[in-house]
Amino acid sequence: MEKSRKEKYIGRRMPRRDALVKAQGRAKYTADYRTADMLWGKAVFSGMAHARILRVDAAKAEALPGVVCVMTAKDLPAAKKYGIFCADKPVIAENMILYEGDPIAFIAAETKEIAEEAAALIEAEYEALPVVEDPREALRDDVPPIHENHPVTGNAKVMAEVTLDRGDVDAAFAEADIILEDDFETPQIEHVYLEPDCCIARWVDDTDVLEIVAPQQAVYSTLRALAPVFGLPESRVRFISPYVGGGFGGKEDSCCDLAVIAGLLAMKTRRKVYSEFTAEEVFRYTGKRHGSYVHHRMAATKDGRVIGLDIDIILDKGAYQSMSGLTGGPHAVAQRTVLYAAGPYSVENVRIRSRAVFTNHPYGAAMRGFGAPQIHFAGESQMNELAHRLNMDPVAIRKLNMITPERPTSFGQVLTEENGLGLEECMDKVKAELDKPFMPKHPVRPSQRRGMGLAAYIYGTGMPYKSEGAMCVVHVNRDASVEVGISTTEMGQGAQTVMAQIAAEALGVPVETVNVPLPDTFLSPDSGPTVASRSTTFVGNAILDACRKLLAGFTEAVAHGVGCSPEEVTYAKGVFAAPDGQEIPLRRAIYMAATQAIPQSAVGIWYPPVDIGFGPKGGNSMHTYSFGCQGIDLLLDVETGEIELLRSVLACDIGHALNPQLVEGQMEGGAVMGLGYALTEGVEYKKGVVSNDSMKDYVILGFKDLPQMTSIIVEAANCMGPFGAKGVGEPPLVATAPAVREAIRNASDGVKLNRIPFTPERVITGIYKAKEGGQTS
Amino acid sequence: MVMRLWVNGVEKEVQAEEDTMLIDLLRDRLHLTGTKKSCCSGECGACTVLVDGLPFRSCITPALVCEGRRVETIEGLGDAAHVHPIQQAFVDAGAVQCGFCTPGMILTAKALLEKNPEPTEEEIVEAMSGNFCRCTGYVKILDAVRSLVPYRPQEKEEKG
Repeated sequence: MEKSRKEKYIGRRMPRRDALVKAQGRAKYTADYRTADMLWGKAVFSGMAHARILRVDAAKAEALPGVVCVMTAKDLPAAKKYGIFCADKPVIAENMILYEGDPIAFIAAETKEIAEEAAALIEAEYEALPVVEDPREALRDDVPPIHENHPVTGNAKVMAEVTLDRGDVDAAFAEADIILEDDFETPQIEHVYLEPDCCIARWVDDTDVLEIVAPQQAVYSTLRALAPVFGLPESRVRFISPYVGGGFGGKEDSCCDLAVIAGLLAMKTRRKVYSEFTAEEVFRYTGKRHGSYVHHRMAATKDGRVIGLDIDIILDKGAYQSMSGLTGGPHAVAQRTVLYAAGPYSVENVRIRSRAVFTNHPYGAAMRGFGAPQIHFAGESQMNELAHRLNMDPVAIRKLNMITPERPTSFGQVLTEENGLGLEECMDKVKAELDKPFMPKHPVRPSQRRGMGLAAYIYGTGMPYKSEGAMCVVHVNRDASVEVGISTTEMGQGAQTVMAQIAAEALGVPVETVNVPLPDTFLSPDSGPTVASRSTTFVGNAILDACRKLLAGFTEAVAHGVGCSPEEVTYAKGVFAAPDGQEIPLRRAIYMAATQAIPQSAVGIWYPPVDIGFGPKGGNSMHTYSFGCQGIDLLLDVETGEIELLRSVLACDIGHALNPQLVEGQMEGGAVMGLGYALTEGVEYKKGVVSNDSMKDYVILGFKDLPQMTSIIVEAANCMGPFGAKGVGEPPLVATAPAVREAIRNASDGVKLNRIPFTPERVITGIYKAKEGGQTS
Repeated sequence: MVMRLWVNGVEKEVQAEEDTMLIDLLRDRLHLTGTKKSCCSGECGACTVLVDGLPFRSCITPALVCEGRRVETIEGLGDAAHVHPIQQAFVDAGAVQCGFCTPGMILTAKALLEKNPEPTEEEIVEAMSGNFCRCTGYVKILDAVRSLVPYRPQEKEEKG
């Protein structure tokens, strides 16, 4: 795997720079900064998913000794709603409860116990309204809209509708040899980051600044979303994100839900306020992966070519916008389900519609994969069904259909080898690995059947907006040590480590001398949110840009100092060489720059040099795409429906692995999260209220569930990536569920399960129905 | 009431009530924030500390249970200048991502390895199975623990 490259740090398995402080308990997360003098900030909830608020009376709570302040909707100082894409989520609900996480009051008290006692003293009356849980039901004419006056959509039931319409779909279906039609369903998923959301806020009196410390994935998004709630210009609100105990997309939004509580209470009381959600509250009130209902029609020829797709996607939006996207843009999850509806294949005739529909569930948020896992479950399941129908090899049929330089994406984007097209290699390697003999470690029970399956994926790096770019500031000190100013969150992925590798490589300095501080809107420039598998590529490129600018300046300083032209000066490994043989170390060059009015700090910037513009007729969306293939080998107990995982083989084309150990970490973690998506996870509700609100009832996979895990890094370099890199954070879980489905199908003589998670009950029901000759679901 | 216990080898006298959980005693009263608070219901293992060498979920363990006993937290294993071999193994294996489960994982591994210096694969999985991680997929955590077998901490410390 390790190639012989000229780089010193890039491509090396360098240990994470935060690993030791975390392993020693010295790394500080937000809650670790709490001190005894802070007030306890608490939000009060109704316990209902849909209701009209008739009365909220805080008098008794306010009168409780130790309560410093109670806020209800009438006490809000400025904007009453917030949101990253549009301000539609009430800071404190005034008239309506649209999901269980709508607070009715905020309390600041001297202690947690007093705050809880006060919360119980808030008196409220409600008129319960019918709870809408299924977005398909929400669309029915006899079901009233959830929003009566949404700031963007008014009383419409659809928050976002994104379409793609290319070619002649009806003609394709008319001339098809085979038409496959089926429905697929995926649940809402909780991120289950181990660090529950929390927040510390304080009013900094001497500078009139509101300072907020919270685990966040996107400090600038939080800032822009919440400054209006505090009634302050963005320049007077300071957001800091310390180490983050896992995010997976959730901490783009959930941090806002906490920051409004602590922030407003700190402004009002002029005291430091700490606020947190318990793990149960995180389950109940924060955003979820969108649930999905996909109606999928595929038209193919008898030799295995997919010639048409007609797909209707309905997403469980939950109560507020969050990350579904807006019909008029920016598009988000709804759009990604459309973009990836054809998977990594070139299909000419496509009619795809995705609608995010309001329900009384927690808001559909960003979660690792951002719409791709949902639509790949449908699409890759169908691709496997087509292979079965034609008795074709699943890899062969995928190669026949995959995107190539001659065969563009379903949205018309032409990808060349320079963009990195590693799907074929991924599939070949997964198949070769699965074909190796493997014996289960224990005797196989007579009721256990073996099955294998695979699925493939496509996933773009970054976001398909014209505003998608990154900034950074790289500063070189007089001793040639380096500070890299970025707003990228360190939430476990290893950003600090990779960014330091990139800067050290580019500047030719020891990596140990590069410091990458954690995000702080007062100190870090906006390098964009830590989302979309974008950081290494976008922010890494911005760092390279800054380093190039710095070296150009230092080269000029040296040239002027020694009396030659800059073109005659070379730089390598920390030393400038002049044509007369003089060697000038970097430290000296920096000093020379400082005496010649040449900057020692540089702003780096990177926007992809691609014309981005997705519309209903298609268009370029991301500058590059990651590809991959997931293989699964399992044992299915046909009597109990239990699944025992034997092997997970995952190959990811990630362009170039700048740190293979970190890449494997993303792949292994992603695969296991994907296996949980396939087998055990899913938020359950009773009347819109989350019923499995703990890790006892919401099961994520543990040590005992692990199969043998194989991670294969494939490197089809992205010519626009830093050192060839493209995204790896999210893609590893995109194809897991359809691969598991296929393995179950092959273990069970054809049982088709179209709804995840594949719990033993669903599997056994599927087997039973198949025996009866009925439909499975 | 005032209770007495040994925390990381140091005797402490500290105020605790019947409903004070060990995690709050450690984090809020002794300022040992390396112990992480996550599920608060004994499900995830992030808050694991050792009480007389055995792994305890500090979020559901009343502090008073530890009266007169030895409590070991992640801070007791090492510091910047003295890296414990289990901590080093986690660093080397790439077993740390967001880090929130890490202190509990390391202490659970320590309890296992001190009791059973040569655990089998099954024994490792069994001992670790109450600790959850959402980032790593467990692979590199297992690599880290395996790399310590057979466990001879003194020897490794001297080498390190």
